Amino acid sequence: MNDFEVSFDFAYTLELLPTLLKYLGVTMEMALLGFAFALVLAVVIAIIRVFKLPILDPLSQLFISFFRGTPLLVQLFLFYYGLPRLVPFLVNMDAFTAAVIGLSLHFSAYMAESIRAAILGIDRSQMEASLSIGMTKLQAMRRIILPQATRIATPSLMNYFIDMIKSTSLAFSLGVVEMMSATQMEASSSFKFFESFVAVALIYWVVVIIFTRLQYMLETYLNKAYVK
Amino acid sequence: MIKVSQLSKKFGDLTVLKQICFEVQQGEIVVIIGPSGTGKSTLLRCLNYLEAPTTGQITIGPAEVDASHASNKHIHQLRKQSSFVFQNYALFANKTALENVAEGLMTVWREPKAQAMATSQAILEKVGLGDKLGQYPAQLSGGQQQRVGIARAMAAKGEVILFDEPTSALDPEWVEEVLAVMQQLAQEKQTMIVVTHEMQFAREIADKVIFMEGGVIVEQGPPEQIFEQPQSERTKAFVSRATKPL
Repeated sequence: MNDFEVSFDFAYTLELLPTLLKYLGVTMEMALLGFAFALVLAVVIAIIRVFKLPILDPLSQLFISFFRGTPLLVQLFLFYYGLPRLVPFLVNMDAFTAAVIGLSLHFSAYMAESIRAAILGIDRSQMEASLSIGMTKLQAMRRIILPQATRIATPSLMNYFIDMIKSTSLAFSLGVVEMMSATQMEASSSFKFFESFVAVALIYWVVVIIFTRLQYMLETYLNKAYVK
Repeated sequence: MIKVSQLSKKFGDLTVLKQICFEVQQGEIVVIIGPSGTGKSTLLRCLNYLEAPTTGQITIGPAEVDASHASNKHIHQLRKQSSFVFQNYALFANKTALENVAEGLMTVWREPKAQAMATSQAILEKVGLGDKLGQYPAQLSGGQQQRVGIARAMAAKGEVILFDEPTSALDPEWVEEVLAVMQQLAQEKQTMIVVTHEMQFAREIADKVIFMEGGVIVEQGPPEQIFEQPQSERTKAFVSRATKPL
Protein backbone atom coordinates (compact mmCIF):
# COMPACT_ATOMS: atom_id res chain seq x y z
CA MET A 1 0.00 0.00 0.00
CA ASN A 2 2.69 2.43 1.01
CA ASP A 3 5.15 1.29 -1.61
CA PHE A 4 4.77 4.45 -3.65
CA GLU A 5 5.47 6.78 -0.75
CA VAL A 6 8.50 4.96 0.55
CA SER A 7 9.85 4.44 -2.94
CA PHE A 8 10.89 8.09 -3.15
CA ASP A 9 14.16 8.52 -1.28
CA PHE A 10 14.19 12.22 -0.56
CA ALA A 11 17.36 11.93 1.47
CA TYR A 12 19.14 10.65 -1.61
CA THR A 13 17.93 13.69 -3.58
CA LEU A 14 19.39 16.00 -0.95
CA GLU A 15 22.63 14.05 -0.80
CA LEU A 16 23.01 14.24 -4.52
CA LEU A 17 22.69 18.04 -4.68
CA PRO A 18 26.30 18.84 -3.68
CA THR A 19 27.61 16.30 -6.22
CA LEU A 20 25.56 17.82 -9.02
CA LEU A 21 26.38 21.39 -7.99
CA LYS A 22 30.03 20.64 -8.79
CA TYR A 23 28.96 20.53 -12.43
CA LEU A 24 26.88 23.69 -12.28
CA GLY A 25 30.08 25.57 -13.17
CA VAL A 26 30.36 23.81 -16.53
CA THR A 27 26.69 24.42 -17.22
CA MET A 28 26.91 28.11 -16.39
CA GLU A 29 30.17 28.53 -18.28
CA MET A 30 28.50 27.16 -21.39
CA ALA A 31 25.45 29.34 -20.90
CA LEU A 32 27.37 32.54 -20.18
CA LEU A 33 29.90 32.05 -23.00
CA GLY A 34 27.14 31.06 -25.37
CA PHE A 35 25.04 34.05 -24.41
CA ALA A 36 27.95 36.50 -24.71
CA PHE A 37 28.81 35.32 -28.23
CA ALA A 38 25.14 35.15 -29.18
CA LEU A 39 24.56 38.71 -27.99
CA VAL A 40 27.45 40.16 -30.00
CA LEU A 41 26.41 38.27 -33.11
CA ALA A 42 22.75 39.17 -32.62
CA VAL A 43 23.54 42.91 -32.35
CA VAL A 44 25.61 42.75 -35.55
CA ILE A 45 22.87 40.87 -37.41
CA ALA A 46 20.19 43.22 -36.10
CA ILE A 47 22.12 46.28 -37.31
CA ILE A 48 22.73 44.67 -40.70
CA ARG A 49 19.02 44.02 -40.99
CA VAL A 50 17.95 47.46 -39.76
CA PHE A 51 20.22 49.22 -42.26
CA LYS A 52 19.34 46.60 -44.92
CA LEU A 53 22.99 46.34 -45.95
CA PRO A 54 23.38 44.83 -49.42
CA ILE A 55 24.53 41.17 -49.57
CA LEU A 56 24.81 40.95 -45.77
CA ASP A 57 21.08 41.41 -45.21
CA PRO A 58 19.97 38.45 -47.38
CA LEU A 59 22.75 36.36 -45.81
CA SER A 60 21.47 37.29 -42.36
CA GLN A 61 17.97 36.30 -43.34
CA LEU A 62 19.24 32.91 -44.55
CA PHE A 63 21.17 32.48 -41.30
CA ILE A 64 18.11 33.28 -39.19
CA SER A 65 15.91 31.04 -41.30
CA PHE A 66 18.24 28.05 -40.88
CA PHE A 67 18.88 28.42 -37.16
CA ARG A 68 15.24 28.98 -36.35
CA GLY A 69 14.15 26.33 -38.80
CA THR A 70 16.06 23.32 -37.46
CA PRO A 71 16.18 21.76 -33.97
CA LEU A 72 18.99 22.81 -31.65
CA LEU A 73 19.92 19.18 -31.07
CA VAL A 74 20.35 18.64 -34.81
CA GLN A 75 22.50 21.76 -35.02
CA LEU A 76 24.69 20.58 -32.15
CA PHE A 77 25.32 17.28 -33.93
CA LEU A 78 26.00 19.10 -37.19
CA PHE A 79 28.64 21.24 -35.51
CA TYR A 80 30.23 18.47 -33.52
CA TYR A 81 30.51 16.01 -36.37
CA GLY A 82 30.46 18.32 -39.37
CA LEU A 83 32.63 21.31 -38.54
CA PRO A 84 35.91 19.41 -38.03
CA ARG A 85 35.45 17.90 -41.50
CA LEU A 86 34.75 21.26 -43.15
CA VAL A 87 37.27 23.35 -41.24
CA PRO A 88 40.59 21.50 -40.76
CA PHE A 89 41.56 24.04 -38.11
CA LEU A 90 38.77 22.68 -35.89
CA VAL A 91 39.79 19.06 -36.19
CA ASN A 92 40.53 18.80 -32.48
CA MET A 93 37.46 20.72 -31.38
CA ASP A 94 36.08 19.30 -28.16
CA ALA A 95 32.43 18.76 -27.37
CA PHE A 96 32.31 21.77 -25.05
CA THR A 97 33.43 24.12 -27.84
CA ALA A 98 30.99 22.58 -30.29
CA ALA A 99 28.18 23.05 -27.78
CA VAL A 100 29.09 26.70 -27.16
CA ILE A 101 29.24 27.39 -30.93
CA GLY A 102 25.93 25.65 -31.49
CA LEU A 103 24.17 27.43 -28.64
CA SER A 104 25.58 30.82 -29.70
CA LEU A 105 24.51 30.53 -33.32
CA HIS A 106 21.11 29.07 -32.50
CA PHE A 107 20.18 31.70 -29.96
CA SER A 108 21.72 34.58 -31.90
CA ALA A 109 19.15 33.97 -34.63
CA TYR A 110 16.27 34.47 -32.21
CA MET A 111 17.93 37.29 -30.30
CA ALA A 112 18.76 39.20 -33.50
CA GLU A 113 15.06 39.42 -34.28
CA SER A 114 14.25 40.66 -30.77
CA ILE A 115 16.96 43.29 -30.96
CA ARG A 116 15.89 44.35 -34.45
CA ALA A 117 12.32 44.79 -33.24
CA ALA A 118 13.55 46.83 -30.27
CA ILE A 119 15.65 49.09 -32.51
CA LEU A 120 12.72 49.63 -34.87
CA GLY A 121 10.57 50.44 -31.85
CA ILE A 122 12.70 53.49 -30.98
CA ASP A 123 11.08 56.69 -32.20
CA ARG A 124 12.59 57.97 -35.45
CA SER A 125 13.16 61.35 -33.85
CA GLN A 126 15.96 59.89 -31.73
CA MET A 127 18.01 59.09 -34.83
CA GLU A 128 17.13 62.44 -36.42
CA ALA A 129 18.17 64.35 -33.31
CA SER A 130 21.48 62.49 -33.29
CA LEU A 131 22.13 63.23 -36.96
CA SER A 132 21.07 66.86 -36.54
CA ILE A 133 23.91 67.59 -34.12
CA GLY A 134 26.41 66.01 -36.49
CA MET A 135 26.65 62.44 -35.22
CA THR A 136 27.15 59.65 -37.73
CA LYS A 137 24.57 56.86 -37.97
CA LEU A 138 26.92 54.46 -36.19
CA GLN A 139 27.58 56.93 -33.38
CA ALA A 140 23.83 57.41 -33.04
CA MET A 141 23.35 53.64 -32.89
CA ARG A 142 26.00 53.16 -30.27
CA ARG A 143 25.26 56.15 -28.04
CA ILE A 144 21.51 56.68 -28.39
CA ILE A 145 19.56 53.94 -30.16
CA LEU A 146 21.13 50.75 -28.79
CA PRO A 147 21.06 51.87 -25.14
CA GLN A 148 17.35 52.62 -25.52
CA ALA A 149 16.73 49.40 -27.44
CA THR A 150 18.49 47.47 -24.66
CA ARG A 151 15.79 48.49 -22.24
CA ILE A 152 13.06 47.29 -24.56
CA ALA A 153 14.83 44.06 -25.50
CA THR A 154 15.88 43.07 -21.96
CA PRO A 155 12.83 41.01 -20.98
CA SER A 156 12.92 38.94 -24.16
CA LEU A 157 16.72 38.58 -24.12
CA MET A 158 16.54 37.34 -20.54
CA ASN A 159 13.95 34.83 -21.72
CA TYR A 160 16.48 33.53 -24.22
CA PHE A 161 19.21 33.44 -21.60
CA ILE A 162 17.02 31.34 -19.32
CA ASP A 163 16.19 29.08 -22.22
CA MET A 164 19.91 28.85 -22.98
CA ILE A 165 20.77 27.76 -19.42
CA LYS A 166 18.33 24.89 -19.77
CA SER A 167 19.36 24.09 -23.32
CA THR A 168 22.93 23.46 -22.20
CA SER A 169 21.56 20.13 -20.96
CA LEU A 170 21.50 19.04 -24.61
CA ALA A 171 25.31 19.22 -24.65
CA PHE A 172 25.06 16.01 -22.65
CA SER A 173 24.32 14.26 -25.92
CA LEU A 174 27.69 15.41 -27.34
CA GLY A 175 29.46 13.98 -24.31
CA VAL A 176 30.06 17.22 -22.39
CA VAL A 177 30.21 16.40 -18.72
CA GLU A 178 27.85 18.99 -17.29
CA MET A 179 25.06 18.84 -14.77
CA MET A 180 22.70 16.76 -16.86
CA SER A 181 25.25 14.09 -17.73
CA ALA A 182 26.44 13.98 -14.13
CA THR A 183 22.84 13.30 -13.11
CA GLN A 184 22.55 10.55 -15.67
CA MET A 185 25.75 8.91 -14.41
CA GLU A 186 24.70 9.09 -10.78
CA ALA A 187 21.28 7.74 -11.61
CA SER A 188 22.70 4.83 -13.57
CA SER A 189 24.87 3.71 -10.70
CA SER A 190 22.31 4.17 -7.92
CA PHE A 191 19.23 3.23 -9.98
CA LYS A 192 17.46 6.11 -8.26
CA PHE A 193 16.47 7.83 -11.52
CA PHE A 194 13.49 9.75 -10.23
CA GLU A 195 15.34 11.09 -7.17
CA SER A 196 18.28 12.12 -9.35
CA PHE A 197 16.26 14.00 -11.91
CA VAL A 198 14.25 15.72 -9.20
CA ALA A 199 17.56 16.94 -7.81
CA VAL A 200 18.78 18.31 -11.13
CA ALA A 201 15.38 19.86 -11.89
CA LEU A 202 15.52 21.70 -8.55
CA ILE A 203 18.94 23.09 -9.33
CA TYR A 204 17.89 24.40 -12.76
CA TRP A 205 14.78 25.88 -11.24
CA VAL A 206 16.62 27.72 -8.47
CA VAL A 207 19.20 29.04 -10.91
CA VAL A 208 16.44 30.38 -13.15
CA ILE A 209 14.71 31.98 -10.15
CA ILE A 210 17.94 33.75 -9.24
CA PHE A 211 18.39 35.07 -12.78
CA THR A 212 14.76 36.17 -12.91
CA ARG A 213 15.43 38.26 -9.80
CA LEU A 214 18.50 39.73 -11.48
CA GLN A 215 16.39 40.50 -14.52
CA TYR A 216 13.94 42.55 -12.46
CA MET A 217 16.82 44.46 -10.88
CA LEU A 218 18.28 45.13 -14.32
CA GLU A 219 14.91 46.30 -15.62
CA THR A 220 14.50 48.69 -12.71
CA TYR A 221 17.97 50.07 -13.38
CA LEU A 222 17.32 50.51 -17.11
CA ASN A 223 13.99 52.18 -16.32
CA LYS A 224 15.44 54.91 -14.18
CA ALA A 225 15.44 57.45 -17.03
CA TYR A 226 11.76 56.83 -17.66
CA VAL A 227 10.33 57.15 -14.17
CA LYS A 228 8.45 60.40 -13.81
CA MET B 1 26.98 82.73 -45.29
CA ILE B 2 23.90 80.59 -45.89
CA LYS B 3 22.89 80.26 -49.48
CA VAL B 4 20.15 78.04 -50.83
CA SER B 5 19.69 77.91 -54.56
CA GLN B 6 17.26 76.12 -56.83
CA LEU B 7 16.30 73.73 -54.05
CA SER B 8 13.57 71.26 -54.97
CA LYS B 9 12.15 68.27 -53.16
CA LYS B 10 9.87 65.58 -54.47
CA PHE B 11 8.20 62.76 -52.55
CA GLY B 12 7.44 60.38 -55.39
CA ASP B 13 5.33 62.39 -57.83
CA LEU B 14 4.51 65.05 -55.28
CA THR B 15 6.65 68.18 -55.49
CA VAL B 16 6.80 69.79 -52.04
CA LEU B 17 9.52 72.36 -52.70
CA LYS B 18 9.99 74.16 -56.00
CA GLN B 19 13.14 76.07 -56.86
CA ILE B 20 13.67 77.60 -53.44
CA CYS B 21 16.32 80.34 -53.32
CA PHE B 22 17.29 82.54 -50.41
CA GLU B 23 20.25 83.82 -48.46
CA VAL B 24 20.86 84.41 -44.79
CA GLN B 25 23.62 86.64 -43.44
CA GLN B 26 25.55 85.99 -40.27
CA GLY B 27 23.58 87.09 -37.21
CA GLU B 28 20.39 87.36 -39.18
CA ILE B 29 17.09 85.96 -37.94
CA VAL B 30 14.87 84.61 -40.64
CA VAL B 31 11.32 83.52 -39.92
CA ILE B 32 9.44 81.31 -42.34
CA ILE B 33 5.65 81.56 -42.23
CA GLY B 34 2.87 80.12 -44.32
CA PRO B 35 -0.10 77.75 -44.26
CA SER B 36 0.28 74.16 -43.02
CA GLY B 37 1.50 71.59 -45.52
CA THR B 38 3.34 74.18 -47.51
CA GLY B 39 6.82 72.73 -47.24
CA LYS B 40 8.21 74.99 -44.51
CA SER B 41 9.30 72.12 -42.29
CA THR B 42 10.56 70.13 -45.26
CA LEU B 43 12.71 73.09 -46.30
CA LEU B 44 14.18 73.33 -42.81
CA ARG B 45 14.79 69.58 -42.72
CA CYS B 46 16.54 69.77 -46.09
CA LEU B 47 18.96 72.36 -44.70
CA ASN B 48 20.00 69.84 -42.06
CA TYR B 49 19.76 67.00 -44.57
CA LEU B 50 17.26 65.13 -42.42
CA GLU B 51 15.42 65.15 -45.72
CA ALA B 52 17.51 64.80 -48.88
CA PRO B 53 16.56 67.46 -51.43
CA THR B 54 15.99 66.20 -54.96
CA THR B 55 18.00 68.97 -56.64
CA GLY B 56 19.66 72.22 -55.66
CA GLN B 57 22.61 73.57 -53.72
CA ILE B 58 22.96 74.36 -50.03
CA THR B 59 25.89 76.30 -48.64
CA ILE B 60 26.29 76.88 -44.93
CA GLY B 61 29.55 78.50 -43.89
CA PRO B 62 32.38 76.41 -45.30
CA ALA B 63 30.16 73.42 -46.16
CA GLU B 64 28.58 73.03 -49.53
CA VAL B 65 26.33 70.27 -50.86
CA ASP B 66 24.87 69.78 -54.30
CA ALA B 67 21.86 67.51 -53.97
CA SER B 68 22.43 65.81 -57.32
CA HIS B 69 25.79 64.39 -56.23
CA ALA B 70 25.93 64.59 -52.46
CA SER B 71 28.46 62.33 -50.77
CA ASN B 72 28.04 61.12 -47.19
CA LYS B 73 31.13 63.09 -46.24
CA HIS B 74 29.72 66.35 -47.60
CA ILE B 75 26.36 65.71 -45.96
CA HIS B 76 28.09 65.13 -42.64
CA GLN B 77 30.08 68.37 -43.04
CA LEU B 78 26.88 70.25 -43.81
CA ARG B 79 25.06 68.80 -40.80
CA LYS B 80 27.82 69.94 -38.49
CA GLN B 81 27.19 73.51 -39.64
CA SER B 82 23.65 73.62 -38.31
CA SER B 83 21.66 72.30 -35.41
CA PHE B 84 17.99 71.61 -35.12
CA VAL B 85 15.27 72.29 -32.58
CA PHE B 86 12.39 69.87 -33.05
CA GLN B 87 8.69 70.46 -32.59
CA ASN B 88 8.44 67.39 -30.33
CA TYR B 89 11.78 68.24 -28.58
CA ALA B 90 13.32 64.85 -29.53
CA LEU B 91 15.59 64.84 -26.50
CA PHE B 92 17.73 61.75 -26.03
CA ALA B 93 15.43 59.78 -23.73
CA ASN B 94 18.29 57.80 -22.15
CA LYS B 95 20.34 60.88 -21.23
CA THR B 96 19.99 63.53 -18.53
CA ALA B 97 19.50 67.18 -19.46
CA LEU B 98 23.23 67.76 -19.00
CA GLU B 99 24.17 64.71 -21.06
CA ASN B 100 21.76 65.74 -23.81
CA VAL B 101 23.63 69.00 -24.23
CA ALA B 102 27.11 67.49 -23.79
CA GLU B 103 26.56 64.55 -26.15
CA GLY B 104 27.45 66.38 -29.36
CA LEU B 105 30.47 68.08 -27.81
CA MET B 106 31.90 64.72 -26.76
CA THR B 107 30.88 62.52 -29.67
CA VAL B 108 31.05 64.91 -32.61
CA TRP B 109 33.60 67.47 -31.46
CA ARG B 110 35.72 65.10 -29.36
CA GLU B 111 35.89 67.37 -26.35
CA PRO B 112 37.11 65.87 -23.08
CA LYS B 113 34.20 64.94 -20.83
CA ALA B 114 34.95 67.46 -18.08
CA GLN B 115 35.15 70.33 -20.56
CA ALA B 116 31.98 69.27 -22.37
CA MET B 117 30.10 68.98 -19.09
CA ALA B 118 31.27 72.42 -17.91
CA THR B 119 30.24 74.06 -21.20
CA SER B 120 26.89 72.28 -21.14
CA GLN B 121 26.20 73.27 -17.58
CA ALA B 122 26.85 76.92 -18.44
CA ILE B 123 24.45 76.71 -21.40
CA LEU B 124 21.73 75.07 -19.30
CA GLU B 125 22.15 77.76 -16.66
CA LYS B 126 21.72 80.34 -19.37
CA VAL B 127 18.36 78.87 -20.42
CA GLY B 128 17.31 78.80 -16.77
CA LEU B 129 17.72 75.08 -16.13
CA GLY B 130 20.74 75.14 -13.86
CA ASP B 131 18.75 73.18 -11.28
CA LYS B 132 17.65 70.44 -13.70
CA LEU B 133 21.03 69.12 -14.89
CA GLY B 134 20.52 65.57 -13.65
CA GLN B 135 16.88 65.20 -14.68
CA TYR B 136 15.84 62.91 -17.49
CA PRO B 137 13.53 64.20 -20.25
CA ALA B 138 10.61 62.18 -18.86
CA GLN B 139 10.94 64.15 -15.63
CA LEU B 140 10.77 67.60 -17.25
CA SER B 141 7.79 69.70 -18.36
CA GLY B 142 7.27 70.41 -22.06
CA GLY B 143 8.71 73.89 -21.74
CA GLN B 144 11.75 72.64 -19.87
CA GLN B 145 12.29 69.88 -22.43
CA GLN B 146 12.20 72.35 -25.27
CA ARG B 147 14.65 74.61 -23.46
CA VAL B 148 16.99 71.63 -23.15
CA GLY B 149 16.41 71.08 -26.89
CA ILE B 150 17.50 74.64 -27.57
CA ALA B 151 20.47 74.27 -25.23
CA ARG B 152 21.53 71.15 -27.14
CA ALA B 153 21.33 73.09 -30.38
CA MET B 154 23.29 75.98 -28.85
CA ALA B 155 26.08 73.63 -27.80
CA ALA B 156 26.59 72.45 -31.36
CA LYS B 157 29.29 74.46 -33.04
CA GLY B 158 27.33 75.11 -36.20
CA GLU B 159 26.72 78.49 -37.79
CA VAL B 160 22.96 78.42 -37.56
CA ILE B 161 20.17 77.01 -35.40
CA LEU B 162 17.10 75.76 -37.23
CA PHE B 163 13.82 75.90 -35.29
CA ASP B 164 10.96 73.73 -36.56
CA GLU B 165 7.79 75.05 -34.92
CA PRO B 166 9.43 74.97 -31.49
CA THR B 167 6.30 76.02 -29.58
CA SER B 168 3.58 74.19 -31.52
CA ALA B 169 3.54 71.09 -29.32
CA LEU B 170 3.66 73.06 -26.08
CA ASP B 171 0.84 73.74 -23.66
CA PRO B 172 0.12 77.50 -23.79
CA GLU B 173 1.60 77.98 -20.31
CA TRP B 174 5.05 76.90 -21.51
CA VAL B 175 5.20 78.91 -24.74
CA GLU B 176 6.40 82.09 -23.10
CA GLU B 177 9.53 80.63 -21.50
CA VAL B 178 10.64 79.06 -24.77
CA LEU B 179 10.10 82.24 -26.75
CA ALA B 180 12.05 84.13 -24.09
CA VAL B 181 15.08 81.90 -24.63
CA MET B 182 14.84 82.46 -28.38
CA GLN B 183 14.56 86.19 -27.81
CA GLN B 184 17.71 86.06 -25.76
CA LEU B 185 19.52 84.23 -28.57
CA ALA B 186 18.29 86.84 -31.03
CA GLN B 187 19.78 89.61 -28.93
CA GLU B 188 23.10 87.81 -29.02
CA LYS B 189 22.94 87.80 -32.81
CA GLN B 190 22.75 84.04 -33.10
CA THR B 191 21.90 83.20 -36.70
CA MET B 192 18.51 81.47 -36.72
CA ILE B 193 15.98 80.20 -39.20
CA VAL B 194 12.62 79.73 -37.51
CA VAL B 195 9.46 78.10 -38.80
CA THR B 196 6.62 79.27 -36.60
CA HIS B 197 2.95 80.11 -36.36
CA GLU B 198 3.60 82.70 -33.64
CA MET B 199 3.01 85.78 -35.80
CA GLN B 200 3.53 88.36 -33.08
CA PHE B 201 6.82 86.75 -32.19
CA ALA B 202 7.86 86.53 -35.84
CA ARG B 203 7.23 90.19 -36.28
CA GLU B 204 9.23 91.19 -33.21
CA ILE B 205 12.20 88.95 -33.68
CA ALA B 206 12.72 88.62 -37.45
CA ASP B 207 15.19 90.52 -39.58
CA LYS B 208 13.63 88.87 -42.58
CA VAL B 209 10.36 87.03 -43.12
CA ILE B 210 9.81 84.44 -45.81
CA PHE B 211 6.23 83.65 -46.78
CA MET B 212 5.79 80.24 -48.36
CA GLU B 213 2.77 78.67 -49.97
CA GLY B 214 2.41 75.57 -52.12
CA GLY B 215 6.11 74.75 -52.01
CA VAL B 216 7.34 78.10 -53.31
CA ILE B 217 8.57 81.29 -51.71
CA VAL B 218 5.81 83.76 -52.49
CA GLU B 219 7.45 86.75 -50.89
CA GLN B 220 10.36 87.62 -48.67
CA GLY B 221 11.34 90.86 -46.99
CA PRO B 222 11.62 92.69 -43.69
CA PRO B 223 8.76 92.07 -41.24
CA GLU B 224 7.33 95.57 -41.80
CA GLN B 225 6.87 94.76 -45.47
CA ILE B 226 5.39 91.29 -44.99
CA PHE B 227 3.06 92.23 -42.16
CA GLU B 228 2.11 95.78 -43.17
CA GLN B 229 2.61 96.21 -46.91
CA PRO B 230 2.67 92.75 -48.45
CA GLN B 231 3.37 92.90 -52.18
CA SER B 232 1.50 89.74 -53.01
CA GLU B 233 -2.22 89.19 -52.64
CA ARG B 234 -1.55 85.71 -51.25
CA THR B 235 0.73 87.09 -48.55
CA LYS B 236 -1.86 89.71 -47.71
CA ALA B 237 -4.61 87.10 -47.40
CA PHE B 238 -2.51 84.82 -45.20
CA VAL B 239 -1.20 87.55 -42.95
CA SER B 240 -4.61 89.10 -42.37
CA ARG B 241 -6.02 85.68 -41.49
CA ALA B 242 -3.10 84.72 -39.26
CA THR B 243 -2.88 87.97 -37.33
CA LYS B 244 -6.60 88.60 -36.98
CA PRO B 245 -7.35 89.36 -33.32
CA LEU B 246 -9.73 86.92 -31.72
